[in-house]
Amino acid sequence: MSKSKFNTIYIAVGLIPFLMLVFPFFEIANRATPIIFGLPFSFFWVILWIVITFVTLVILYRLDPDQDEEEDV
Amino acid sequence: MPGWQIALIMMILYLVIALFVGVMAGRGRDSSSLDEFAVAGGKLGLFVMWFLMGGAVFSAFSFLGAPGWAYSKGAPALYIITYTAFAILPWYIIGPKIGKIGRKYRLYTVAGFLKGRFNSPVLAILVGLIALFASIQYLATQMSGMAIIFNTLTEGRIPFWLGALLSYGIVVVYVATGGLRAAAWSDVFQGILMILISWIVGLTIVYQLHGGTTEMFESIARETPEFLQIGKEGSSMGTVAYTTTILVSVIGFLMWPHLFSKSYASNSRTIKKTVLAYPIFALFLVPLLLVGFAAKGVVDSGQLESADQVLPYLITTVMNLPGWLYGLVGAGALAAAMSTADAITHSASLEVTDGVIKSIWKDLSDKTTLLIMRVGVFVIGALAYYITVFGGQGLVALLLGAYGSIVQFAPGVYSALFWRRATTHGVISGLVVGTIVNYYFQLVATSTPFGIHAGILGLVSNIVIMVTVSYVTRAQTEDEVNRYVDVA
Repeated sequence: MSKSKFNTIYIAVGLIPFLMLVFPFFEIANRATPIIFGLPFSFFWVILWIVITFVTLVILYRLDPDQDEEEDV
Repeated sequence: MPGWQIALIMMILYLVIALFVGVMAGRGRDSSSLDEFAVAGGKLGLFVMWFLMGGAVFSAFSFLGAPGWAYSKGAPALYIITYTAFAILPWYIIGPKIGKIGRKYRLYTVAGFLKGRFNSPVLAILVGLIALFASIQYLATQMSGMAIIFNTLTEGRIPFWLGALLSYGIVVVYVATGGLRAAAWSDVFQGILMILISWIVGLTIVYQLHGGTTEMFESIARETPEFLQIGKEGSSMGTVAYTTTILVSVIGFLMWPHLFSKSYASNSRTIKKTVLAYPIFALFLVPLLLVGFAAKGVVDSGQLESADQVLPYLITTVMNLPGWLYGLVGAGALAAAMSTADAITHSASLEVTDGVIKSIWKDLSDKTTLLIMRVGVFVIGALAYYITVFGGQGLVALLLGAYGSIVQFAPGVYSALFWRRATTHGVISGLVVGTIVNYYFQLVATSTPFGIHAGILGLVSNIVIMVTVSYVTRAQTEDEVNRYVDVA
């Protein structure tokens, strides 16, 4: 994979979950109930997307064409 | 032994260990090296880097302010974990690039970075000054946090001025002697401590008061469901305000000099791995929010001077908790405030030296520069202390305005990295206009259109002006542009 293609995918992967956590999309989860894992739904939703982002980025890192680059300059 | 005595002993013990860790970390290194002082020789590892970036965000604000927000505003407090998790992500792409440019031209500041592409002492001085004022404001908040903690947990026995002096004095000493490496290792120690403490204390409070989070949230959802929502009838914050507050925090985060310049302190791989592991830090903040929700309905807001005191108030007054738990909260809050204060003091001194002083006196040797930086740590420390303890009256507005203006660096920084057509005049006029607009809406106007955050209004005008002026002024030479944009 080329570096610019990787960057595009990286930006998309970071942006989608972020959009789910701000308005207008956050409206989907903007309520107190149901309470899941002891948290109100809005609270649970935020944590859920943070975990999803974390997992996808870790997978994405393995595809980074530059991940093994030796030190530069 | 009464609770406050145990708390005092534990906090003093913590301060002694913090001083020891800080001073030891800087030992055995080349103390006459400018690179070592400024960027730890560019060789910080993943573990240290993660705590350095995390410690900076885990500030007095998170320890006192996050419970305060959850208690007084409810759901909008979620903005804190949202922005913490996402603000770091752009660093994966820009961090390694900034690092490479920095190593090529020996940079260690934001001011130096912009000067390198745009060749403008005026720009560097401007950035240096905004960074200085913003940092002093930031430090003053941390310091009053430390002083409040000392004061409340010893039930008023340690006066405000002494608490601030003790805890911040230690920070100044280890930063001036050990530079970035001392700040970094202190942050590891302080980071581990505050994470453990926030979980122990947070869960203890929730379970003692409510028997569990489900019970707690069920009762809030039954009585005041709008407290757990945003932008509803009776909610404390509108949807536009919530969204733009997150945006401004996400964009501004990496522009803070103490975070930006960490790009120079490590290699690409470490930077990328730090970004990957970072969202976990956001989750560490969860128990602190729970504390705020737990206080809802238990603490009457009339009893507090400000919502930020809800955590110490719960511990000392409402609940019957053992003295060692007092002490833990004290140590955790001090750790949170100090791990932010050390990085900011360090970077403020660097920005002023590099941006302002080196733009006026151009031919300073490394030895003199290093000396100025060390002295700068004390001067900035003293200024911040003065503002905290005696208040600055006329200065306060200036500092607050600068604090909100850090995000205005973003258009210039991203242009320097990616936009070939950006010109010096474009970036300077964008920065000036953006700062003024932000300043106006933050401090002069009583409200903003649609509740949009002042910083976003500033950013929009900044970008429009920067792009327009760039296109009407002469483009930079190919060579000047390629030095930055072409760095892979």
